[in-house]
Amino acid sequence: MDLDIIPNGLAAGSLYALIAVGFNILYRPTNVFNFAQGDLVMLGAMIGASAMAAGAPWVIALAAAAVFVGLIALLENAVAVAPVVRRSSVSHAWIISTLAYSLIIDNLVGHAWGPDPIRVDPPAPLSTTTFTVAGMRTSSYQIALIVGTALMILLIERFYRTRSGKAVMAVAEDRDAALLRGIDPGRLSRWSFFLGGGFAAVAGLLASPVLYASTQLGPALLIKGFEAAAIGGVGNNRGALVAGWILGLAEALGGSLLSPGYQQASTFVLLLVILLIQPRGLFGQPEARNV
Amino acid sequence: MSDRTIPRGGAARVLDNPWLGRTAILVLAVAIYVFPLIAHSDYRLYLGTQVGIYLLVAMGLNLLSGYTGQPSLCHGALLAIGAYVTAIATVDHGWSFWPAALVGMAITAGAGALIALPAFRVSAWYFALITLAFAEVVGGMLIEWGGLTHSFSGVVGIPMPSAFGQSFNAAQLFWLVATIDIACFIMMANMMRGRFGRGFIALRDNEIAARASGISLVRLKMFAFVVSAAVTGLAGAFYAVQKTVITPDDFTADVSIFFLVVVVLGGSGRLWGAALGTVAFFVVPELLTSLQAWRLLIYGVVLLALMLFAPHGLAGAIASAWRSLRVALGASPRPPPPLATAPGAPTVQKVRGMAVSIAGLLKRFGGVTALDRVSLKVEAGSVHAIVGPNGSGKTTLLNMICGFFRPDEGSIRLDDVEVVGRSTAGIARLGVGRTFQTPKLLPELTATENAMLGAFAAERASTIEVALWAPRARREHAALAAQAEHFLGFVGLGERVHEQAGELPHGQQRLAEIARALIGRPRLLLLDEPAAGLSLTELDKLGALIRSIADLGVTVVIVEHHLELVADICRHVTVLDRGTVLAEGTPDAVFADPAVIAAYMGARPLAEAAS
Amino acid sequence: MTALLQVEAIDVGYGHVGVLENVSLTVDQGSIVALVGSNGAGKSTLLRAISGLLRPRRGRIVFAGTDLAGAPPNRVVDAGILHVAEGRRLFRQQSVDDNLELGLYGARIARSNVAARYARVFELFPVLAERRRSRAGVLSGGQQQMLAIAQALMREPRLLMLDEPSLGLAPIIVDQVLEVLLRLRDGGTTILLVEQMVERALEIADFGFVLQNGRLIGQGPAAELARSDIVTSAYVGAKQHN
Repeated sequence: MDLDIIPNGLAAGSLYALIAVGFNILYRPTNVFNFAQGDLVMLGAMIGASAMAAGAPWVIALAAAAVFVGLIALLENAVAVAPVVRRSSVSHAWIISTLAYSLIIDNLVGHAWGPDPIRVDPPAPLSTTTFTVAGMRTSSYQIALIVGTALMILLIERFYRTRSGKAVMAVAEDRDAALLRGIDPGRLSRWSFFLGGGFAAVAGLLASPVLYASTQLGPALLIKGFEAAAIGGVGNNRGALVAGWILGLAEALGGSLLSPGYQQASTFVLLLVILLIQPRGLFGQPEARNV
Repeated sequence: MSDRTIPRGGAARVLDNPWLGRTAILVLAVAIYVFPLIAHSDYRLYLGTQVGIYLLVAMGLNLLSGYTGQPSLCHGALLAIGAYVTAIATVDHGWSFWPAALVGMAITAGAGALIALPAFRVSAWYFALITLAFAEVVGGMLIEWGGLTHSFSGVVGIPMPSAFGQSFNAAQLFWLVATIDIACFIMMANMMRGRFGRGFIALRDNEIAARASGISLVRLKMFAFVVSAAVTGLAGAFYAVQKTVITPDDFTADVSIFFLVVVVLGGSGRLWGAALGTVAFFVVPELLTSLQAWRLLIYGVVLLALMLFAPHGLAGAIASAWRSLRVALGASPRPPPPLATAPGAPTVQKVRGMAVSIAGLLKRFGGVTALDRVSLKVEAGSVHAIVGPNGSGKTTLLNMICGFFRPDEGSIRLDDVEVVGRSTAGIARLGVGRTFQTPKLLPELTATENAMLGAFAAERASTIEVALWAPRARREHAALAAQAEHFLGFVGLGERVHEQAGELPHGQQRLAEIARALIGRPRLLLLDEPAAGLSLTELDKLGALIRSIADLGVTVVIVEHHLELVADICRHVTVLDRGTVLAEGTPDAVFADPAVIAAYMGARPLAEAAS
Repeated sequence: MTALLQVEAIDVGYGHVGVLENVSLTVDQGSIVALVGSNGAGKSTLLRAISGLLRPRRGRIVFAGTDLAGAPPNRVVDAGILHVAEGRRLFRQQSVDDNLELGLYGARIARSNVAARYARVFELFPVLAERRRSRAGVLSGGQQQMLAIAQALMREPRLLMLDEPSLGLAPIIVDQVLEVLLRLRDGGTTILLVEQMVERALEIADFGFVLQNGRLIGQGPAAELARSDIVTSAYVGAKQHN
């Protein structure tokens, strides 16, 4: 068996984890799972790629993409989430409204950029040129991506140890009790949408050197991110990292044994089996909701 | 997707109105059958057939996403499965259309069952994403299994169905599809006004009410998935023969989204929603062709606008416009619906009450012990009160008797049946009725329909009989409606049987819950604070009501704070305090017990007060 | 004494269903006011309306001279009203310390004062100091109730509203909690107490109000109320024989 699947699987898995973390950032204070997240990631990739094509340095492109996509996500909260959730907090109308928002982004971005993928170079001094270490072919960018993802996720978890982060977790657990302590869930939701959108853009630009930036990526990224989030336990960022890696490795392994079509099918079956055995994912906490 | 701001009628009110519903269907049916004779264009006929096929899918999707509340993003993929099975069987294996279509339906139904599996354990939005992933897998497989599906080139030359050696022409195909549509619509309408409709809406709006009414969530959800998928698979068979060529490109992710848009536009969870949505889409065919490139954008904007401004779609908008019109014209806002043809007042038979025997019941929530080895016996046919300060574990005890919580230790026997570990629905079907402190009714249904939900497990008419509205289903429905009204009258809601449950004041909602429990002919009735918030006159009526329930032989366990009511109606009282039994006995003895008074009112024990 | 809180003729409801009708009450600065009545009488609804979780349909809620009716909960908290909800609504997945820190959310106080606030609640509830790192969900019922009160006290409220603090607690723990309330009042905190243990509540209260079916049916100095049968009838539901 080819050992290359390890770096390839971990790198792809890191991207899935990043998308899943984007979901989680939004999910924690709102209990809304953003169906437009895949398209936000895609939009971030396109903006970043275009900015770099126009000569902007990587960091500037990243910042521009993050801020712009953050604002797009903020707009999503204003038009597609907050009004729907306000009307009835128990219904799942937000599934359809965020899906609708994703269709709008998808179509507009498709028209703005066209279907051709854009090649994006990793920031210097990293590169996608491969070399062999310990029998595995990898690249400096792959390694940076894997390590960087893990560090970013740990950093985000640090944020949830600040007072604002604790307030987000408080809203997630008991919205009314949080209100009674002067926490404004609406404000936290807006911030979470902005940051979750920005994070999606970062994930998109980080994915571009590996996947190319393409307007076709949205739905596939949505599904992969969901699979990582669901297997890791929705709301659990460390779980998402491990689940992303498991998914990436399983896919790379499947890819070396099976053709791509079966690869999707085997991931799907893996997801079904895990959800049947552990509906809250491998690392999810049971929710203590009473009758 | 319940929305209390827009009052609405019951599951299938239109059909219950003999004039409006049947006339509308008749006129429509005639118009549909005449259509091929006046179409004068193959293209129009083709479009007409396509409308019919899409309508089938939309009806299937509406059942699952609208009524049952499980939004699906894979109906395009299910359509593909039905179409491909039919195409492959007829083209590559020389089958005739009819068995091929049946097998296509069956395989699609099987796929529906597969994706239903995780839906029992996760919430609706997980399900939406799972269906999205499933659609992606199906799309991949259509290409991957080239040996079967011919990959990108697809299946070519799918023959028309034939009968008596004659191949169908376009008009005949149209008629066939139209007939199936009408049959499907009528069966769907019948299901929705029968127990299934109430059950589906309960799954969507209040699973606790469903479980307490003896509905097995797993079985009913599975049923919804399978029926929805089977209808879509059948549509797929017609899709294949109409197109004669099918390729993977016919079944992109957009197709699933298209159907979702159709259903939401028409009115999800509304009987006419699928039809209105499908027709609306074909009335504007220009939009579909000239704006092809912006299709997804249009879908997105339409969906978003609907979710924000018209969550019940065209059907909802028409219904509320109709209501406003009636009000404007000075008609009474709630026309008295025809009374169910009551076969005389139902005779309420006596039942044999159930004995309850609880031993060593222990339940912890985190660091808090809610019940600490509680033992308790309730005699069959008695009225037994459980009292105690708030937080003493009374409701937890009820929740464990009817299976919502599983105790950490201990046993609960109803007559001689150990029920620890049984499902809530299973316990309900043993004959256990239940009301809740916060009433759990389906706000969009009328009081009568809510009460009828309680008989879900007792109904005997088979699925087929309900779908065809066979005499037995019809009789059962009429008898049940009469019973529901009778029991609503019995609890004192005779005037409000046709009002929406969400519009009733709290106290009356609790009474409606008692009616819902009674219609299931319980042998044990658990009442959780029925008196809270009632006025003094209502209290007197409640006391009389509980006594008359007891006269039927039903064992009643009542959690109640209102001690005078308890003293009036109960011979036995158990006092709980912080999860343990503090006292037991007759009301007089128990309420004179200083320990009880101390626990209850916070008075200090006499000795302490004297010091 | 001056009135700190004046609820003036409010109507409150959920959806189409009305719960409170024309309820008025006054809480004087530095007093303990008990609000009693049977389950479903509307006591919790009144507290929820004061703290901004529900918007009254009619009427005013004047706190220290400002009308707060319809204000969002965070503004009510900023004004100095802290509501300890029924059923020990803590953030169970988070630690005792985290819960206390959340009590400071949005409070603009100097860092040097923070330690003093912790010290004060630990002095009132020593048992919490021993369990700072435990998750709130694993605490005993009494400890959870103390934590819930302590969390509100971190904000140094001018008005502390408590909904059924005795719920599910052993009498000795109830004694401790009520003892703390007396100490708080003596320290200048005004308290509005909803309590099912009517006699205990009226014992420590200065003034009382009785709610029944969403209407105020009685009020008076706590000692007088404790002797009248209006309370017993409203609570255990003896019918008024007329």
